[in-house]
Amino acid sequence: MMPAYQNSAQYRNQPYKGQRESTAYKRAVRPQASQTQKRPVYRNEIRAQQQQQQQRQPEAVPARKAKRYYDYSLLFGVIFIFALGLLVIYSSSQYMAMLEKGDAEYYFKRQLLIGSAGLLGAVVMSFFDYRLFKNMVVSYGAYAGSCALLAITLISGLASHGKTRWLSIAGVSFQPAEVAKVGLIMLMAYYVSVHGPNMRKSKYLMRAIGFSLLPTALILKQNISSAFIVAMIAAIMIFVSIKNYAAFFGLGALALGGILGAKPLLHRVIIERGLTARPEKYWMRRIVGWAAPEIFEADAYQTMQGMYAIGSGGMTGHGLGESIQKFGKIPEVQNDMIFTIVCEEFGFIGAATLILLFFYIIYRIYKVAYNAPDVFGTMICTGVMAHLGLQVALNIAVVTMVIPNTGVTLPFISYGGSAVLITMAEIGLVLSVAHQIRTGND
Amino acid sequence: MAGKLSVSVVLIGLALFALLIRIFLIQRDNAEGYSKIVLNQRQSEYESRTIPYRRGDIYDRNGSRLATSERVYIMILDPAQMRDYEAVNADGTKTRNVIEPTIAALVEKFGFDEQDLRETISNNPNSSYIRYMKNVSYDQKQEFTAYQTAKNEEYLASTDPVIGKNRIRGVWFEDNYKRSYPYNSLACSVIGFASSDGMNGSGGVEQYYNDVLTGVNGREYGYLDDEANLEKVIRPAVNGDSLVLTIDATIQNIAEKYIMQWKNGEIGSKSAACLVMNPKNGEILAMASTKTFDLNNPNTTGDYTPEEIYAFGINEAVSDYKLKNPGLTPITSKEVPDHYDREEIMKLGETIAMYQNWRNICVSDTYEPGSTQKIFTVAGALEENVISENDTFRCDGNVQLSDGVNTWKINCVNRNGHGLLDVTGGITNSCNVVMMNIAFAEKAPTFVKYQKLFGFGGYTGIDLPAEANTENLGFQTDEIGRTQLATNSFGQNFNCSMIQMAAAYCSILNGGYYYKPHVVKQILSADGALKEDVQPLLVRETVSASTCDFIKKALVETVENGTGKAAKVPGYTVGGKTGTAQKQPRAAKTYVVSFCGFAPAEDPALLCYVIVDEPKLPGEAAAHSSFASEIFSKVMAEALPALNIYPEGTDGESYQVPDLLLPAEEGDSRQTMGTGGAPEEEETLPEGVVNILTNTNGDSVYETVSADSLESETAEQASDEYIEGEDDGSELPYMLPEEAGINEPAAELPSEEETAAEEEEP
Repeated sequence: MMPAYQNSAQYRNQPYKGQRESTAYKRAVRPQASQTQKRPVYRNEIRAQQQQQQQRQPEAVPARKAKRYYDYSLLFGVIFIFALGLLVIYSSSQYMAMLEKGDAEYYFKRQLLIGSAGLLGAVVMSFFDYRLFKNMVVSYGAYAGSCALLAITLISGLASHGKTRWLSIAGVSFQPAEVAKVGLIMLMAYYVSVHGPNMRKSKYLMRAIGFSLLPTALILKQNISSAFIVAMIAAIMIFVSIKNYAAFFGLGALALGGILGAKPLLHRVIIERGLTARPEKYWMRRIVGWAAPEIFEADAYQTMQGMYAIGSGGMTGHGLGESIQKFGKIPEVQNDMIFTIVCEEFGFIGAATLILLFFYIIYRIYKVAYNAPDVFGTMICTGVMAHLGLQVALNIAVVTMVIPNTGVTLPFISYGGSAVLITMAEIGLVLSVAHQIRTGND
Repeated sequence: MAGKLSVSVVLIGLALFALLIRIFLIQRDNAEGYSKIVLNQRQSEYESRTIPYRRGDIYDRNGSRLATSERVYIMILDPAQMRDYEAVNADGTKTRNVIEPTIAALVEKFGFDEQDLRETISNNPNSSYIRYMKNVSYDQKQEFTAYQTAKNEEYLASTDPVIGKNRIRGVWFEDNYKRSYPYNSLACSVIGFASSDGMNGSGGVEQYYNDVLTGVNGREYGYLDDEANLEKVIRPAVNGDSLVLTIDATIQNIAEKYIMQWKNGEIGSKSAACLVMNPKNGEILAMASTKTFDLNNPNTTGDYTPEEIYAFGINEAVSDYKLKNPGLTPITSKEVPDHYDREEIMKLGETIAMYQNWRNICVSDTYEPGSTQKIFTVAGALEENVISENDTFRCDGNVQLSDGVNTWKINCVNRNGHGLLDVTGGITNSCNVVMMNIAFAEKAPTFVKYQKLFGFGGYTGIDLPAEANTENLGFQTDEIGRTQLATNSFGQNFNCSMIQMAAAYCSILNGGYYYKPHVVKQILSADGALKEDVQPLLVRETVSASTCDFIKKALVETVENGTGKAAKVPGYTVGGKTGTAQKQPRAAKTYVVSFCGFAPAEDPALLCYVIVDEPKLPGEAAAHSSFASEIFSKVMAEALPALNIYPEGTDGESYQVPDLLLPAEEGDSRQTMGTGGAPEEEETLPEGVVNILTNTNGDSVYETVSADSLESETAEQASDEYIEGEDDGSELPYMLPEEAGINEPAAELPSEEETAAEEEEP
């Protein structure tokens, strides 16, 4: 129906024009309209929409002034999922919190405080125009700054012969890897918005890949999973920005096959060769614990405890607060493993609901990305969407032993200061992009 | 771009959907199995824990704690908890450091080997229960717990990224008890000892009253209710009851002191024992013997020499071989070295020696009592009016019994004869001839009836384990042969135990009431309330009060003017009877000398019976009852003031009762107890006691210490009785041949070997 606008970066970069209001409105609420050619399933909906509009038309007051859009669905979706997370944190952590901190509500209160501050910040941020960041100084500055923090963390970690993911500035500890994710998203978004049509040229493509490899390399030493997520965010942003499918699908199929095939293969090798000696390196222990949990019991202990929690939940779960595994069996249960408690207490239905909620949020971000006024906005939303989607999928994949155990938090649900703040900031950016979408009529 | 965006979101959606399927499959396939694991894990965290009971204490009659159970702790390591608490993250970093700080704390507070600790923890990562140290004292436990709390607070408060992660966890302490005996070897054979877990007692009241002393273990356990909530249930332990013994630790200590003094003295003997009773109710106040061991450390072979232990080992090896090789022909003791090496034999022998050393001589060993028996011969005859108090008998030095072919001459103590003696004189002079004549007059059935009334040929039923049963050691029938009757009348040819003799004496002293001897006075509940007061149990009445009075007077006379002069205790009127029994085989000329006496004569408060088995002197030189009498005298001289019975003409203040002090340091040797009163020795020697010196020829000579001496007795006379066959080496037959037809066949007699074997180990 609207072939002219399809994939047209130029169009989106242009200032908004008044005479297009009805189309813009349509795009804001029904972004699938642009895909109708490829996905005829939406045609009925579009038609229904059009009919609805036609019916309304006699009553419609022609817009005199463009209205700004505000994505309440996304905001309230996030608030809802965050509140749910608080509930689960309280339920899962109170035992260990009482034992360790002497305060059953320790984690709950901190999460509530930081999360609320983050939400408030996100709302405030949503009223600023995200295009304030659309300049070289901010984008490259954010990127360079986060890379510098990563380098400091790496060096201080090496100096103390230990591995640390944390950096403390003015008494506040945070994970620079989380900051780097935002830094990279900002830079990539800016880079794509500037070089948009040229992205497919290898010079620009290589440069973009180079930008993403630097923080990946800096994080890799301390945190494989974060490095993987950073690289994947960049990969998805590049994927969206260029037309090539084959290379990505090839890589994707390879990765999927690798993950699905590696476990049985490794398991067979371990059994047949009798490789029961415990490896020295921690990442190898994670892999053998994943591939052959019955042999490397100690290395699979944490994930197996999580699996017991998931499995024992059944269809409906034990009910809120009735988890048994939270009593010291799953270490740091309020962090990476919190999804297992969701499964144990709310069962399959609860897990499915939570996953649907996540998908709803991702879907809202996708919609904002689709209707963003410019490529910069689209790319920011793409990055955030990639980040959230990856975190959720990897976290659940870890606890269900689809992939080896890596420390990935579940956004909005897992306890953790810097991760929560960063995620909320990203939501703030998306809301800001959404707020710049103009709708023709109310 | 929009298309790619849509593809991305669809892919994310598909990935999430795939994961949802994965969750569904996990729950579908494993819901039941994983639920079980979860519940098992949960319950095993509250693994039912045993709460041990406390074994009851044992007190002496005055409340001194002879045996007690101290609260100690077992240190439990919980590596599984340490691991859970370390919470190793996905990348191998630990959320907390538990193992190393905990090891450091344990090393600092307990001085453990660091390497061993680390290995123990790393080798048992899934164990929650490793008993690492036993017998941790309360102070040690408190100190560690306080240290742990302080350190953990310090760690929590620390901002240092490394120290802030440290925690001390996974160490806990389980209640337990440790049996201990504050007086070490005191009254060891009466008390016995309990296994370290307090479950079983060996020997003494620890064994006999094991059921009373033990309680019921409590339990702490958790179970999951219908809603899988963990319910915690504590069923407390029921502690064992305590015993109050009739033993008086002070008197026990006195008795042990003089027995050990004798044992370590110039002469010494194979063994010796002293039994002190209250004649009015059968309570045992002391039981001492030369066999002692530290109750806190009972596994000793005592005084047995390596040769003796080796001999035990040989015997034991024979039965050991028989037991282990049921099909093969048993080996003889000479073949033992072919099958066992010396070390094995010694090891077997040591076990036997240990058991032998734990024997309670006063209760478990039997012997021929000798002349102390004579009063029962007289008492029975008097009671049945066979004789009257004023009857007289003529003693010509021996009685001859003949079967027409052989003649046996049974000698009196005085080979020349005592001349004309009345009944009292028969006792005071310990005249065998008088006794034989009385017994002949009494006739066998009456004699045996009274022997049984006085408890011989059976057992007393004392509340101590392994009491000797003398049913097969004499008096099997009412009819005994004439020679048997003759020798039994002065205490030969039948066996009894010390407790039997003492209990029989008590019945004479208290006017004819035979009480069951006992060592437990009260049973207290764990919180100290009186649960059972053991009343004296009157078993039967023996003889009339008038008979008893007559005997008592005769016994006083015996000490005053008769054979028991050495037993005199200054300041008290003492009565008693000596005994010198010739052991089997008669030709070996080995003797058991004894003295059974009481004081004060008017109202006997204490009965003390001393036996000395095989004094280490050659031949008849050993046959002097004065060895036992002296011990009696020394014990009584101290024991009576201890019961606030003071010598005539003094009041209590001038007497110093030796204090019964706890050993200076626990774990110190028993010698402290055994010879504690040694400095008092010279002063407490009563007058009238002979010092025994050895002259240059190696013969014993007797030197009187005081005017009231035994000078009229020759060395030969000091042996107050023995029998002798006409021919050397020939033994007295059970009965004269002409009687054989009407009496029991000889086959039913205890064989010579049996009797001898019984005597071998008194």
